[in-house]
Amino acid sequence: MDAYGVILGMALATYATRALAIFLLSRRLPPALERFLSHIPAAVFAALAFPPLVAPEGSFAPGLPAAAAAVAAAVAWRTRQIFTTILAGMGSYWLLRWVVG
Amino acid sequence: MTPASPPASRLPPHGFWAGLAATAPVVPGAVAFGLVYGVLARQAGLSLWATTAMSVLVFAGAAQFTAVSMWGQASAGLIIATTLMINLRHLLMGASVAPHLLGQPARWKALLAFGLTDESYALAISRYLRGEGSREFLLGANLGLYGGWTLSTLVGGVLGGLVVDPGRWGIDLVFPLTFLGLLVPLLGRPVTVVVAGASGIVAVATAAWLPGKGNLVLAILAGGAIGAVLEAWWTPTA
Repeated sequence: MDAYGVILGMALATYATRALAIFLLSRRLPPALERFLSHIPAAVFAALAFPPLVAPEGSFAPGLPAAAAAVAAAVAWRTRQIFTTILAGMGSYWLLRWVVG
Repeated sequence: MTPASPPASRLPPHGFWAGLAATAPVVPGAVAFGLVYGVLARQAGLSLWATTAMSVLVFAGAAQFTAVSMWGQASAGLIIATTLMINLRHLLMGASVAPHLLGQPARWKALLAFGLTDESYALAISRYLRGEGSREFLLGANLGLYGGWTLSTLVGGVLGGLVVDPGRWGIDLVFPLTFLGLLVPLLGRPVTVVVAGASGIVAVATAAWLPGKGNLVLAILAGGAIGAVLEAWWTPTA
């Protein structure tokens, strides 16, 4: 499949998630399904964040990225700003690389 | 268009322009995010047109970041399935906003659904909860973010052609840091800490067995299921 095929598939998948409830919902979702869905964002973000930070080569081996991520997490907790978090993480990563060599 | 509302002394909080104006605090963040996405998409091998087309057609920041990070390593089907998983949260936002759109024509529902994002949803639902919401306000909020996102993506895509070797500068770290920045503010609830911990551990532990990012699907399902079970146990209400 070429790039535009993937993009079209992504567009349809995204639109489906956004439109489905708006068009179909005249009744509530089952509570169990609602609970499951409500935890999906945190699960998604953790699944995407952890491997490159603590296992950059594929197996668990925390190094400079994990140390930088700890700083970024503290900044994220304080500021709740994504861009500030990125700056803190990249800044400490570059600083650590410069110090360690 | 709220003919029954009293004459407003200040900017009316109901309409399209109010919705557009309400996005002012969040658009700079979206623009910064869009610039980074554009740069990374080009470095992942997408053309300038494909980079921009993804923003114009998909309009989903986290899903687009993820797709670009998987580009060239994962199959098309897995990228699309992951997009679906990441955007499942919009199903809940749609469910939350749906009661406010019950009587609207299908073309309005179709238009508003396309632009429904975390930020515009949050802005619009807070107005609805105060009794000041409207379809025009939501449309304005959607459009403010859409404009900022697509244009910044185009600029980032142009810049991205100039930058080389992301690994050398650690630019690829922007991906996990972005998701960390999205995750950390959610960690106020103990159940969410468990969900994130379980999902992260599963993602790392199964990465070797499930290559092509298949570990992510397992981790997300495990995290969601653990959260649902824990919450059913911890919450006394039926």
